This record gives sequence, structure tokens and C-alpha cells, in this order.
Amino acid sequence: MKNMVMAFPKLRLAKSFALAASTVLLVLGAVQARAQEGAQEGATLNGYARTKVGALVEDGAYFLAENTLDLRLSYSAGDAAFYANPVLYEREGELALPELREVYIDLGGEFFDLRMGKQQIIWGKGDGVFITDIVSPKNLSRFLVPDFEELRLAVTGARLDLYADAHSLELVWLPWFTPTISPASGSLWALSLAFPISPTIQAAVLPVMELESGEYFAKYSYMGSSFDLSLMGGWFWNDTPAFTVISQVLTPGVGLTSLTVEPEYYRTLAAGYAVSGTLGPLVLRSEGAWYGAKRFQGNPMAFADGYAEKDAIQYLAGADFSVGGYNFGLQFIQDIILDYDDDLTEDAIANTATFVVAKTYLNETLTVEIFSYLGLDDGDALVKPKVTWDASDSLELFAGAYLFLGDEGDFGQYDDNDGVYVGAKLSF
Amino acid sequence: MKRPSRKIALLIGAAIVFASAASVVAAAEPTGAVIMQAVYDRPQGKDMSGMLTMTLVDAKGKERVRGIKQITGSFDTMDKKLMVFQSPADVRGTAFMNWSYAEQGKGDDQWIYLPALKRVKRISSEGRGDNFMGSDFTYDDLGDRQPAEDVHTLTGTETVDGEACWVVESVPKDPKDLYSKTITWISKEKTVGLKRDYYDKRGTLLKTLRISSIESISGVWVITKTEMRNEQKKTSTRMEFSEVKIDSGLVDGDFTERAMTKGL
Repeated sequence: MKNMVMAFPKLRLAKSFALAASTVLLVLGAVQARAQEGAQEGATLNGYARTKVGALVEDGAYFLAENTLDLRLSYSAGDAAFYANPVLYEREGELALPELREVYIDLGGEFFDLRMGKQQIIWGKGDGVFITDIVSPKNLSRFLVPDFEELRLAVTGARLDLYADAHSLELVWLPWFTPTISPASGSLWALSLAFPISPTIQAAVLPVMELESGEYFAKYSYMGSSFDLSLMGGWFWNDTPAFTVISQVLTPGVGLTSLTVEPEYYRTLAAGYAVSGTLGPLVLRSEGAWYGAKRFQGNPMAFADGYAEKDAIQYLAGADFSVGGYNFGLQFIQDIILDYDDDLTEDAIANTATFVVAKTYLNETLTVEIFSYLGLDDGDALVKPKVTWDASDSLELFAGAYLFLGDEGDFGQYDDNDGVYVGAKLSF
Repeated sequence: MKRPSRKIALLIGAAIVFASAASVVAAAEPTGAVIMQAVYDRPQGKDMSGMLTMTLVDAKGKERVRGIKQITGSFDTMDKKLMVFQSPADVRGTAFMNWSYAEQGKGDDQWIYLPALKRVKRISSEGRGDNFMGSDFTYDDLGDRQPAEDVHTLTGTETVDGEACWVVESVPKDPKDLYSKTITWISKEKTVGLKRDYYDKRGTLLKTLRISSIESISGVWVITKTEMRNEQKKTSTRMEFSEVKIDSGLVDGDFTERAMTKGL
């Protein structure tokens, strides 16, 4: 895997990014001044510039050199508002085309909000776990290594929120499909497909988006004394594809000698809940969902399509608490495949836990946090320690690591990918 | 009716004079508990909104400034507070909401909204002794502490900034409390604390709170400028309230998840 790591002879801010960033920052100064002048009209412009460099622990090879300019522009007039979040990246010395992470229009009334456009929609109460967080797909090109806020992708559609006191109803319609970004083949984070032989993978089949084939979600929420509750449901395209067997060749006496698969997105029905409440010094939370006819990969000798459709359940139970100025969070997560078949690749039941501990120092200017995923079945883990220092109100310096423990399992498979990183973030 | 004898009449007269004198003394020098209850019960309006500027000063004199929009309201047996950070840029949009209850022993409900995560999260409210947003104020310092949580003793009267004050020493009933005692100077005219000293577990002066501006807004005395100084760390925090409005008609529905995510 190490040969796939891009080697950088020295760390430098690429000229292209520096030029682009300085130009944007110059324009920014003028625009921000205008925005402040127009503050009465509700115009704001803020954002950050960030540089981040990472290296593998084992051989010191750089695998991450990223500069980011993230702008958030908003303008509001009365009950209407506009928001845009253009982002300029330079990765591994290459300046990428600017992307619009979000851009939408808000319309609001006394009892409703309507948001139309490209937007992130975040559901659920779990930390680092996405059981009912089924609307916005994820960018898993670097597995779960980036900060959680950077994992989520925006979806394009309309969201209507209706309010009545402590109750709210959220309705989401997505006419355009946005898939999860999986790790690129050949990258550090490439997934190994669980087939008996290495398959030939055809181009993915994306959903044909027509009015009747859109995605639909609904969520009821209640916020009250002692507990908060959400009930949700969705009829949507699964953000990650199933691999459908297109052809396979069985050679007598040898077995499977050729296999061609096609990534195929398919519809899923899901219903779930999320609840959190206070019990003395504890904040307790639970989240769970039932997924109908989800496709699980299996032995192509047993399943002609290469997968079987099964209902599944996923849930978590967790607690947050503080002791001596340390904030702790614990979660237990269980995945269950119903009506299990032994020829499926995944286990019938998978158990995972998360653990987080955080503490601040120096009047909350220094934060130390360790977030961990623990694979309870394979004895593997991903440990993400991070130290953040607010050198000033606008300048943040940070350093961290991601350490994979174990030899197999969701986290142990990346045992060679332990990395460290440092960075700086300038907010404005 | 038989008229009382002269001797009895004299005795009754003496008793009335004594009782009157005693009541005058009592009115002039109420007990510490009565004073602190009066401070707690002081009219504060049904709701309040305003802009809070919080300046954190470290031991070297370096300042950090936070701008916070804040609304508070009293509804039946609970008080609600919502704070939304306006500055600095890296915390802009962060919101914090607290619901506290009159019911003895019932803990607060608290939520935080972090714009980057786009999620409202219920958080533990047990850290009453934790510092509020990196300041020299603890959450407990900023809350309405129930008078019944301490034993109060009136230790004397003094003048602060030209105002006659009662001096009340308050010792927590809970030995695990953050402080061993506090001493508060309370304006006799306004029934508002003008300064307070906080002593740590060893009985050493830890922090001093000074009120530098009180304004009457809509008939309610509102503290508009205050400073907490940590005498041991040599840090301080100034809080200044502006654009204060009292009884502007805030309702229960102004303290919701929607308000946290959209801002004030």
C-alpha cells in the first residue's frame, strides 16, 4: 500500500494556491467591508483558510498536503435568505476547481421554514455513527479519518420544516441522487471486495432520476424537559451500491475463474428513532433503525446476483458524563441482519463501540480529545487523538493522529495506515 | 369594662414602646436569609433580551472578546435562556440553551448547537462549577442560586460606591460546594448585590465580583456592567450588556431547537 502514497519532496504552499488564495483574500477584504456596510440588510461573509499536512507513521511518507479556503456568504432580507459555501482546495500540489459545498435559498414563516438547493441535512443523535443519519451521503474517500463535519456531503432538493410549540415535522424531497464517495481503488483506503476472486468491475449504474423516482424522507421531532425524541422514515436510494454479478465463469475442477460485477444503487425503506434524555449526571441516548430489503454481498456460488436482500436492524445506546473536568462519551452499536444466511459475507451480528474523552485547559483555549472506534468482534480499533490550541480568536493550531489497531475488521484492515498530521486554521 | 390600673397601664405602655423599638431594629437589620431571599425575589421582568459582550483577560493582559446575543424568559416554574455567539468568527452561530426549574433538586436541561456539525446536542448540566465559555464565571455564578442552598449571616453594613449596603456571609450547606463561603454587599435601596467575594475550599480569597453599572430599564434594575477577577490566577472577565429590553413579549416558542439553529 505504501507505494500508492504520494511522495512530496518538501512541504510547500503551492504557488497556484497561494496566488489564488491571496487573490481571493484581497477580494474578500473588499467584499467583507461591503458586507459589514450592508449588515443592516443581513449580509455576512466569513469562513476560514486552513493548511493541513499528514504523514504515515511507518515510513514518514506524506499522504496529505491540503490547503483549503472555505467561504460562507449569506444574505437575508425579511423572511428570505440566501447562503453559499464555495470552497477552494489545493491537494497534493494541485489546485482543484472550486466547489460549492452548499448553496440554497431559505424562506421562512411563523410556523414553517423552506430550504431549497444544495444542502447538508444531518439527522440522528449518535456521535460518529450514522444510523438514522440517512439523508446526506458521506465522503469516505479517506475512510473515517477526516473530522466528522467534513465527512458529510450535501444533497440537492427541498426541505420543509413545520413547527408547533415543541414539536416539528421535517419533510425532505430529493429529486437528484447523490451517492456516497467510496475510497478510490489503489488508494490507501481502498476497500477489498469480499469475492472469492478479484472481479472485473463495470461502471456503476446510477438511478434514473425522474419525478417519481426521487427520494423522500420525513422526521417528527420533540424537544422537551428531560428528553428529546425523533421518529424518522425514508424511501430512498441507498447511498452505497451493491455489486451485482453480471457474469461468472466456473471451471470444472478449479471453481470460479472469472467474475464481472456492476455497482448498482437500489431503493431502501427505513424507519427509525432517536432519543436522548438526562438522568442525574448522565445524558443518555439511543438511536435505532430498521432497513427493509437491504442488499448484503454473499458468495456468488450461492447467490446468482452476488447478494441477498435482507431486512436489517442497527441501534446504539450511549451515555455522556463529566468527571473531574473530563467529558466522557460511550456508545455501544449493534448491527443485526435478519433472516441470516450463512453464505453472506458479513456476520449476522456485528458489535462496535465508541469512546470519547475530552478536556479543555488554559481557559478553554487548549482542547485535548481522543475519539475511538472499537471493533468488539475483531478486536480492532481506530483511535483519533487531537490537540487544538486557540492561539488567538482567529488562529487555531492543531495536531493529531489516527491509529489503527488490530489486523482485521473494519479498522484493523488499515493497520498499515497509522498517520499523524498538523495544521493551522485562520478564521475570519 | 373595668379600666386597667395605672400600674398595668404603665406596663402595657412600656411593652408597646419596647415592641415598637424592637420592630424598628428588626426592620433596619433583617436577617441574612431575609435579605438574600429578597434579592432572589427581586422583580426581574418576565423576559429579557440583549447583547452581551464578554471580554476575557489573561494574566498577561491579553484580551479575547466574545459577542453573544441572549434572551431569557420565565415560564411557570421554569426559566429559559438562549445564547447565540456572534463573534469571534470561529464560534459564530454556536448556540447554548438552558432550562432551569424552580423544583428543588431538579437539574437543568442544556443543549448546544455547533454550526459545523449542524446538530443540536443535549449536554450534561452537572458541571455547575465548570467555567462558562472559558471565562472566570462558572455556570453556577451566572445562575440564580436558590437562597436555601446556603446559610446566610448578616455581618454588618458598609458603603459601596456611595450606596448603603448590607454585608451578608453565605456558607454552602453542601460541603462539596465549589466555594467555602461568599460575602456579598447588597444595596439596601436596590436589593441588588454590588460586589461579592468568593473563597475557595481552603478559605482563601479566590474571586471578586464587582458591579460597575446598574440601570433601571422598564422599572427593573438591570446589571449592565460587571467584572469577575480571579485573584489567584490574575485573570478577569468583563461582561457588558447592551440593547437590553425587558418584557418584550418573548414566548415559550422562542426557546426551541429552531431558534438555536437559525440564530437570534
